[in-house]
Amino acid sequence: MAGAELKESLHRIAVLAGHNALLRRRDPAHLISYLVMPMVLMPVFQAMVGDATQVATGLLVMFSILSMADVANATLAERVWHTWDRLRATGARVPEIMAGKALPVLAVLALQQAVLLAYGVAVLGLRPPWPPWPLVLAVAVWCFALLGMGTAIAGMVRSQGELSTVCNLAALSVSALGGALVPYALMPGWARSIAPVSPGYWATTMMQAGVRGDAAGVAGPAAVLLGVGAATLALAWWRAARGWGRGSVR
Amino acid sequence: MLHARGLVKRYGPVTALDGFDLRVPPGEIAGLVGHNGAGKTTFFEIAAGLLRPDEGESEVRGEVGMAPQGLALYPSVTVRETLRLFGGLAGLRRRALAAAVESVAGELELAGELDRRVALLSGGQQRRVQAATALMGEPAVLLLDEPTAGADPETRAALLAAVRRRAEAGAAVVYCTHYLPELAELGATVAVAARGRVIARGAAADLLKDLPGEVRVVLDDEREIALSTTDPTAALAGLLRELDGPVRGIDIRQPSLDDLYRELSRGRR
Repeated sequence: MAGAELKESLHRIAVLAGHNALLRRRDPAHLISYLVMPMVLMPVFQAMVGDATQVATGLLVMFSILSMADVANATLAERVWHTWDRLRATGARVPEIMAGKALPVLAVLALQQAVLLAYGVAVLGLRPPWPPWPLVLAVAVWCFALLGMGTAIAGMVRSQGELSTVCNLAALSVSALGGALVPYALMPGWARSIAPVSPGYWATTMMQAGVRGDAAGVAGPAAVLLGVGAATLALAWWRAARGWGRGSVR
Repeated sequence: MLHARGLVKRYGPVTALDGFDLRVPPGEIAGLVGHNGAGKTTFFEIAAGLLRPDEGESEVRGEVGMAPQGLALYPSVTVRETLRLFGGLAGLRRRALAAAVESVAGELELAGELDRRVALLSGGQQRRVQAATALMGEPAVLLLDEPTAGADPETRAALLAAVRRRAEAGAAVVYCTHYLPELAELGATVAVAARGRVIARGAAADLLKDLPGEVRVVLDDEREIALSTTDPTAALAGLLRELDGPVRGIDIRQPSLDDLYRELSRGRR
């Protein structure tokens, strides 16, 4: 019986993931712009900064934070279209709906980061990471943290306008404070002292360690970002289970 | 089967449901009528599992198909993709899913629109798509909240026929509407909601039998005689016996669900 229920649950998640992938394919504009813009900026920044690792990982972190707006929009759109409740009125449970939304989002985030890293190797002369698995782990952890933060933001804002404002402010401040735009060593003292409150700081540090193939350097920031992702996902889950602010059964 | 017992739901100082009872067995269409704010939509949301009641319980046996009052559709996907989503969530797979998409689309006259994006459809077509999502997978309980609002006559006829077929196949249907003649077309029983509870429930004929109809006779000299009575036919026969002059016109109006709704809303019954 439990096996049959699990099979049905996996089926519903697969149906929802397929549907959400379709929604993303129908509206690829943000993904394209968040791929093209850093590709244009990377060579320009490299001419100023010189360090390929700093440029590639910094812009990767900044534009992946901007992609958080897409993550948030995937959930906010369900509320705007009134389809969230419609989905809940089917046999699908809230965890299944969220999993179905998360899978394509994670795939898009991972794709963006993989393309930008490959571009960094091909165009900026970034040294191909070896061993590669610390960088793979870093990308996976950063995708998870972005998913959590984006979904939590979607649960708090009430309109697309609010979402754009919050995500743009978050992307710029988190990136700048985290050392994604200007190398950490060149930041003023006050900024360096508060940088660790920014997830961007941990993401940049983790990505740079990943590019070096430094597993130990990835582990600490990864733990912090896993915590950020788990906390924000728990917040989003709590909001979703209450109908984004209403009492609910499931 | 759907059985709501003593549902209470409060939003701060506002009591949306105040002891709401409704039982709909398989094969029955229950027409739920009432003013705006009577608690119909809140009841739907509880029955569909979207809201938790403060008191009471809602028992639903089987899958639920729901068409909410407002449109809840994905504008960027096609009708086929929409129906595949809800069919898939209802547990349909591969051939059964493809067959259900074609069948439901045919029923609601959407077969020619299957590969058009929802955003490009007319309002009536979108409403049909919304109703179609509720029908995917042959749910045991159908909750339809004003599915024909703003629909053209063809849309309405197609929807009503589809609802009747589902009830004949054994679904318990709760059909919420402000357009009461639809309930007569559906052969629905009636539940009248007011102030968060069901204040009248039963077959339409039973609820109407004590309501007065009207007889109107226009005489040849332009005089008009009008009588309000629970037996308009007998009253007309009596009138004709008493009249000695020629009659120009006769009009008999039997009591309707609209009359019942107005009477109950005034609190006279």
